[in-house]
Amino acid sequence: MEKCIACGLCAEKCPKKVDDEFNMGINKRRAAYIKYGQSVPLKYAIDPENCIHLIRGKCKACEKFCPTGAINFDDTAKIVKIDVGAVILAPGFQPFDPSPYDIYGYGRIDDVVTSLDYERLLSAGGPNMGHLIRPSDHQEPKNIAWIQCIGSRNNNRCDNTYCSSVCCMYAIKQALVTAEHLSGDDVSQTIFFMDIRSHGKDFERYYENAKTQGINFVRARPHTIDPGPDGVGASLRFTTETGETIQQFFDMVVLSIGLEASKHSIALAQTFGVELDTYKFAQTGSFLPVSSSRPGIFVTGAFQAPKAIPRAVAQASAAASTAAVMLTEGRGTLTTRKTWPEPLDISDAEPAVGVFVCSCGINIANIVDVTEVARHASTLPNVVYVENNLFTCSADTQELIAEKIRTHGLNRIVIAACTPRTHEPLFQETLKDARLNGYLVEMANIRNQNAWVHQREPERATEKAKYQVSMAVAKVVNSVPLAQEMLKVIPRALVVGGGVSGMTSAIAIADQGFETVLLEKSAALGGNALSIEKTFKGEPVRPMLESLMEKVTAHPGITVETNAKITSVSGSVGSFVSDIDVGGQIKKIEYGVAVMATGGREAVPTEYHYGSDERVMTHLEFDGNVMGIFRKDAKARKNEKILPGSVREDSSVGEISHRDVSMAGEGTAEVPGSIVFIQCVGSREPERPYCSRMCCVHSVKTAITIKESSPETSVYILNRDIRTYGVWEKHYQRARELGVIFIRYGVHDKPRVNPEQDYISVKTIDPILQMPLEIHADFLVLASGVVPNDNSEIIQLFKCSANEDGFLNEAHPKLRPVDMSVDGLFLAGMCNYPKPIDESIEQAMAAASRACVVLSKETMELDAIKSFVTERCDGCALCLDVCPYNAISLKTVEPPGQDTAKLSGGQGDELKEQGGLNGRAKKQIITDPALCKGCGICFATCPKEGIMVHGFTMNELKAQVAAALA
Amino acid sequence: MLIFNVGALARQIGVHRNTVTNWIKSGKLAARPATAKKYIISEQEFRKFCTREQVQGNILNRILSKADAEKEAPITRKTQKIPQREPSMKQKNLGSVMVVGGGIAGIQASLDLADSGYYVYLVEKSSGIGGAMAQLDKTFPTNDCAM
Amino acid sequence: MNDNFEPVIIGFLCNWCAYAGGDLAGVSRLQYPPNMRAVRVMCSGMVHPNLVADAINQGADGVIVMG
Repeated sequence: MEKCIACGLCAEKCPKKVDDEFNMGINKRRAAYIKYGQSVPLKYAIDPENCIHLIRGKCKACEKFCPTGAINFDDTAKIVKIDVGAVILAPGFQPFDPSPYDIYGYGRIDDVVTSLDYERLLSAGGPNMGHLIRPSDHQEPKNIAWIQCIGSRNNNRCDNTYCSSVCCMYAIKQALVTAEHLSGDDVSQTIFFMDIRSHGKDFERYYENAKTQGINFVRARPHTIDPGPDGVGASLRFTTETGETIQQFFDMVVLSIGLEASKHSIALAQTFGVELDTYKFAQTGSFLPVSSSRPGIFVTGAFQAPKAIPRAVAQASAAASTAAVMLTEGRGTLTTRKTWPEPLDISDAEPAVGVFVCSCGINIANIVDVTEVARHASTLPNVVYVENNLFTCSADTQELIAEKIRTHGLNRIVIAACTPRTHEPLFQETLKDARLNGYLVEMANIRNQNAWVHQREPERATEKAKYQVSMAVAKVVNSVPLAQEMLKVIPRALVVGGGVSGMTSAIAIADQGFETVLLEKSAALGGNALSIEKTFKGEPVRPMLESLMEKVTAHPGITVETNAKITSVSGSVGSFVSDIDVGGQIKKIEYGVAVMATGGREAVPTEYHYGSDERVMTHLEFDGNVMGIFRKDAKARKNEKILPGSVREDSSVGEISHRDVSMAGEGTAEVPGSIVFIQCVGSREPERPYCSRMCCVHSVKTAITIKESSPETSVYILNRDIRTYGVWEKHYQRARELGVIFIRYGVHDKPRVNPEQDYISVKTIDPILQMPLEIHADFLVLASGVVPNDNSEIIQLFKCSANEDGFLNEAHPKLRPVDMSVDGLFLAGMCNYPKPIDESIEQAMAAASRACVVLSKETMELDAIKSFVTERCDGCALCLDVCPYNAISLKTVEPPGQDTAKLSGGQGDELKEQGGLNGRAKKQIITDPALCKGCGICFATCPKEGIMVHGFTMNELKAQVAAALA
Repeated sequence: MLIFNVGALARQIGVHRNTVTNWIKSGKLAARPATAKKYIISEQEFRKFCTREQVQGNILNRILSKADAEKEAPITRKTQKIPQREPSMKQKNLGSVMVVGGGIAGIQASLDLADSGYYVYLVEKSSGIGGAMAQLDKTFPTNDCAM
Repeated sequence: MNDNFEPVIIGFLCNWCAYAGGDLAGVSRLQYPPNMRAVRVMCSGMVHPNLVADAINQGADGVIVMG
């Protein structure tokens, strides 16, 4: 494997073609293959199930042609025994396979594909290189349908009754991306759905945007899929909400398949002895969301429950954190850090460049005349040594390069080979071993960006390679040794917010041995969890909360500060300094990282007579004031009477009496006879255009508790979509079984509420019956959404960001879900987006894990590719505004010899601020290397080269341009 | 874990072999006897010892880098099972973790652990990591390339 | 203009996207004419206008900034 240079000759010569499973079998690959172009490790493998040699003992074509002798047929699977302190299981999911079910037409109709097939069809790296064509006749489809919930929310045949959580969003995404692939105005995309579940951050906006982009959303489940004429396309039959049956033809149909546990993961669970839940996902509890049933074994990702990428990533960090807490004593015992000898001082030496031209076996040499390139290199100024190697990256060549550096006194190196993106670190190490600064090497990419892409024009390729080498030499001559600054990390964390998320983070960080300061703005810890009875899984919250509070207060590594808030922030990752105001007293703390867990709160409704009628309540108020009745044992309430409650046709319509609630009683009763929930109160509307994720499950769970305790009580949930995502779908199902009545309403046709003396009148239109209804409710529960607590101070102090709704932003919505855009800041819980307790705990543990990555380093080595200020800076400050990382600030500097001692106290500072000082002091910018990412936007903005980026200075870039045009 | 024989280590550091034996006997060099007249010591202990005895950094590095590079070097790093005297509790605190599955979740868990000082074995059944996410074209809600 | 005209194009390629894309084109063996001479930069935002002007002044037939 070490010898493989990923040239791909083995795959080219391999005679055996097999279905490419990466591309869902749409095209073929060879038995010698890489999974995909960007595969890591980028090493070709032999598929033992298909390799002709391994099956029949013949062939060996790949071995014959491999230029490096990397093919080793004896390198087969062997048992390796390893000892580890913990195990994290992340085997993922398998996409639902619709082929056994004839109703879906998959496999029977060419143009019916799964969503994963479609994903490959769209991908630029896919079988058609991103050209979207349908399978039957290879024409561009114009009219495409998606059918949702294939293999999800269905207990008919596939038995996956849960919601897969991701299909709604990926279908919308595919529908939107489709438009980018097809030409013409006649493109039409239709999504057939049951409920659209866009319950993640900024998902609702995405959905709304899709509607304005002309994506058709049809609430229906097509029941029949027939082939189109001549086997092209497919025709769908479905019944609309109004009862109309429609048959419609589509050029292509995409089945939005769900996620399910694979047989591999089920077997894996058995091997490890961890228990699975009813859906064959790993069993976990809400308070320990990544701990399996077996100590020391942690689970994460879609193995635990179907989920989208960001939650899988956060859970993975949470699993890492939990494992790390367990193994804290062992940290650093099995890992090593490499050290290098002190580099030589070359500041007075003339540039002496050594050029090493790689043949890369035949990869480069077959197209580019490497001898000619080497000859050309030797004619270039400052070049004192040139050599051609078969493989410049091989281990022996590294020693050879080091030796040539010594013997020829080389102080700059050019490697003409492959891409610096993969190989520069290797050569940098070689230089460092040879006592040269690592930044004195430059690579000319004559493989990936030359020999491989100009295979038909060897002469011009050679010509280009010569220029590439000239450019690299020109640049490296101008290169200087760069120092990598070391930053001392303060091994202390600051956690802002004393709710479940903040406390969980604080404990996870402190348990890994780092001091933690926990700030709570109110007088008491606990946050929202104080008013929550049970989790979605049914565990009581209070005992967990009390144990958390006890733990943070008793933990020797945690300092809890209540009535506290941050008033100032300076510094950057590894070393922040803040003043905190603790009940009026200012304390100064230094810390390396901070976790934001500032939380959110239930929004105060402004509709449906909330506030004017006390029978209209929010979720939390209803839980606190009324639910007590239903938590009592049903038997104890046997003799209590039930208040009247009824539903009847709106009197204005007529006398048809139906579904009348029959247990009407009189007067003194305690148990409400009719309760109405209205979902999405103030949510998914222009003023708060997001879904609060939890309200549907909360209402449904509450309804179940009511119904289980008092089956006679009528419960109505008026909703726009029911979003019981993931395994919470089971609650929706259970509620319907118990007789909870779900009635949908439209955002433009909201229920009308009128409080009367004995009841609250709720009028709405039942979309199935197509008739207006009036419900007489004893209580009206408003599922009001979640709003973030005010983060404006934090945003200002840390210069971090929030979305339009005020929720703090993550650095990347998929891949860095708990990191913030400012390095060293992490977030957890509802300040990021509304979420239930288990997800908040996951995020809190994840934030702790990410925080400990920083804290576990004594010092941080910063990359040397950073901006630096030159003497030409005149403090015009144009660069300040363009810096995306706020790494630049303006400062007044004293000219040499200025006696600064004279300027004492505030007055001097003021004078400095004004920049006056008799014209002797000047303004200049300074850059913070810890914040700078080296993007160089400042450099491009500066009109006088007052700021540049190390390794990419004007001289270096100009020299390259000049050499390219020489 | 490092495995060495006394003579080889003595030569590397530049002392007499008896000195090394004395170090071991007195506990200065916290090595335990292993098979074939060799001794075993944790790298951390060895580094500590070198700092105490003022063994020069470059000698230490040479010893350690050889231990990595050459199988037949006088001092080798032991990668197989470490002979454990007290198998029950001690094993719990091994600073290593096995992560099963090289999808996005497995990758993230591995990175976090490795970055904070734990040795990670990432086990993936196919020939490349990336999992299902690598098969995706773009991701919602930003339409970023999944790669 | 002469039919054999082969322009020389200076390309400024962002290390994280366009340059990576160039590498991927190589891995995928996508063929294109060898007229561009690539300068790797850390971000396309780094390309100073003077560099573009400089390239044109020194005879480049075109400049492409990719990022």
